[in-house]
Amino acid sequence: MIETYHFLDSDFQQESSRELTLLSIISQSYFQPFSLEDNLVLILTALTSGSGVGFNRAMYLRRDGNRLRGEAWLGPRSPEEARSVWEVLSTPGIGYVEIIEHNRALLRANEDSLTRRIRKLSFTSSDEPDLLPAATARHKEIALVRDAAHEPQVDPRFLETIGVDEFLCLPLLARDEVVGVFVLDNAFTHNPIQPRDVKLAAVCSLLAANYIHTTNLYHRLVESEKMAAMGEVAMFITHQIRNPLVTIGGFTDQLLEEGCEEGKRRRNLSIIRDEVRRLEDIVFKVGHFLKVSLKEPVYADVQPALEAAALEGEAGAQAKGILFQAKLEKDSPLVFCDPSTLGEVARNLIDNAIEATPAGGKVTLHAHRGKDARTFVLSVHDTGKGISAVDREKLFRPFFTTKEKGMGLGLPFIKRVMDTCGGLVEVRSREGQGTHFLLSFPSQEERRPS
Amino acid sequence: MKRILLVEDEKPLALLYEEELREEGYDVTAVHDSETALAKLKTEEFDLLVTDIRMPGRNGIDLITQVMGLRKAIPIIINSAYQSYKDDFMTWAADAYVVKSSSLAELKAKIKELLER
Repeated sequence: MIETYHFLDSDFQQESSRELTLLSIISQSYFQPFSLEDNLVLILTALTSGSGVGFNRAMYLRRDGNRLRGEAWLGPRSPEEARSVWEVLSTPGIGYVEIIEHNRALLRANEDSLTRRIRKLSFTSSDEPDLLPAATARHKEIALVRDAAHEPQVDPRFLETIGVDEFLCLPLLARDEVVGVFVLDNAFTHNPIQPRDVKLAAVCSLLAANYIHTTNLYHRLVESEKMAAMGEVAMFITHQIRNPLVTIGGFTDQLLEEGCEEGKRRRNLSIIRDEVRRLEDIVFKVGHFLKVSLKEPVYADVQPALEAAALEGEAGAQAKGILFQAKLEKDSPLVFCDPSTLGEVARNLIDNAIEATPAGGKVTLHAHRGKDARTFVLSVHDTGKGISAVDREKLFRPFFTTKEKGMGLGLPFIKRVMDTCGGLVEVRSREGQGTHFLLSFPSQEERRPS
Repeated sequence: MKRILLVEDEKPLALLYEEELREEGYDVTAVHDSETALAKLKTEEFDLLVTDIRMPGRNGIDLITQVMGLRKAIPIIINSAYQSYKDDFMTWAADAYVVKSSSLAELKAKIKELLER
C-alpha cells in the first residue's frame, strides 16, 4: 500500500517543541562551511534523533544526472547496536553536540557496512516500469510504503537492501529541481510511521534540499572560478611567449634576406639570443613556481639566513644609490620555518623594495620578536612608489605584476611559504610614500641546556 | 611620406616593427608607453596609429579612448599578442585588429589598406 503526501499541507500543532528542536538542528547547517559531508551528518541526525523526527535509520540517495545513487546511510546496523546506541544517547546530559559527534563516527563506521551496501545501488528515473525510490524523484511526490513486500511499485533490488516492510521516500526539492531522495524507516522499533512524522520529515527535507542545492551551486562556482584563473594564467603565458617569438621570427627573417650586412647580422643574432634566454627564464620560473615543493618547517635559527640576505640587499641597494639598513635582533628566538626558504623570502622582499625605490630612498630590513612571545616578525620597509589600493587586492595572485619584466610569482610564493608555516603576511602601503611588508612567523624561545 | 605612430612596450619588438615599416617606405615614430604616445599625438600629426594593448601603465584600450577624445580622424590598428581583446567592445573603435605574428605580412597589408583608403 502506498500513501502519498504533499509538501504544502503542513498543519503543525504548536503543542510540542519537537519542530523547534528539529529546525534548530537543521539551521546549524547554514552556519557551517560548504561541506556536504559535515552537513549530511547534521541533517541525518535531525531525521533520526529521538527529539528530532525520530526515525531509526535515514538514507540519502544523491541525484547524479538522471540517476539516483546511494550516498550515505545513518543508523545502527543491528538491533543490539541500536539498543546500545540509544542507551548512550539517552544518558542525561547528552546534548546535540555529542549526538552529532557520535553520528559522525557512526556514519564513518557505516562506510564499511550500511553505506557500502547502498553505494552499489543506482536507479535510473527513466527506468520502466516506474519504481520506488526513483519514482519519488520523478513525480516529486512523498511516498509512504507499507507492506512493501507485496507492493509491485517498489524496486525489488532496493527492497532487498533496505529489508523492511515500511518506509518513507522523500524527494529533495530545491527550486523545482530534485537533488536527491531521503528514505527513512523504523527498522528496529517497528513503530508505524505516523502522518505527523511524514510532515516533520517533509519540512526537514525541504531545508536539506535547499542546503544541498546551494552546496552544489557553490562547488560549481568554485570550479568556474578555477577555470577563470586558469584562463588568466593561459593568457599571461600567451603574452609572455608570443612577444619573444615574434621578435625572434622577425629578426630571423631579416637575417635571411639577401645582403644582410655584418653589423646588422650580429645585432639581430644578439637580440635573438636574448629573447631565447628570456623564454628559458620564463619556462624555468613557471616550472619552479608550479612544482617546487616546500621544505617542512622546523623551529630553527634564522640569523645566518637573514644576515646573508641583508648582505645581498646592501650590495643591491648600493648599486642603485639607495640607503640600506638592517636591524636584526641579536639572540633571536627559534623561528618556525625552513631557514633557506626564509632567506629566499627575505631576498625576494628586499629585491622588490629596491626595485620600487628611486635613488636616494631608503630600504629597511627589520627582524625582531613580536608583541607576544610566540611570534617573530620579519619586516621590509621602503620609501618607494607604493602600491595602489586596486593593485593591493591582486598582489598575491599568481602572474599578477606591475613590473615591466616581472612574472608575478614572487609574492604568491611568499604567501605559500607563510601558509605552510602558519604565519601571516601584512602589507601597508601609501602611493608615493612607500610600502611596508610584515611577515609574522610562529616562534619559540630557545631552550638552553641548564 | 606617411607618418605612423607605433606604441609597443617591448623594445626589441618595437625596433623590429620600426625597421620593417621604414623598409616599406613609412616615416615611423616608435614609443614605448601610452602617455608618450598621447603627448606625441597632441603635438604632431600622424596618418596612422599602431598600438599594443597590454602595456605597463595605461593600456592600449585606454589610449584608444583618449585618442577618440582628441577627435582626430586617425585610423587605428591594434597589434596584440591576444586574440581575446576582440571581445572587448572598446577595441571595436579601432579600424583593424592584428594578432602579433612573426610574419609581419598581415600588419603590413592592413597598414597599406588603411593608408590608401
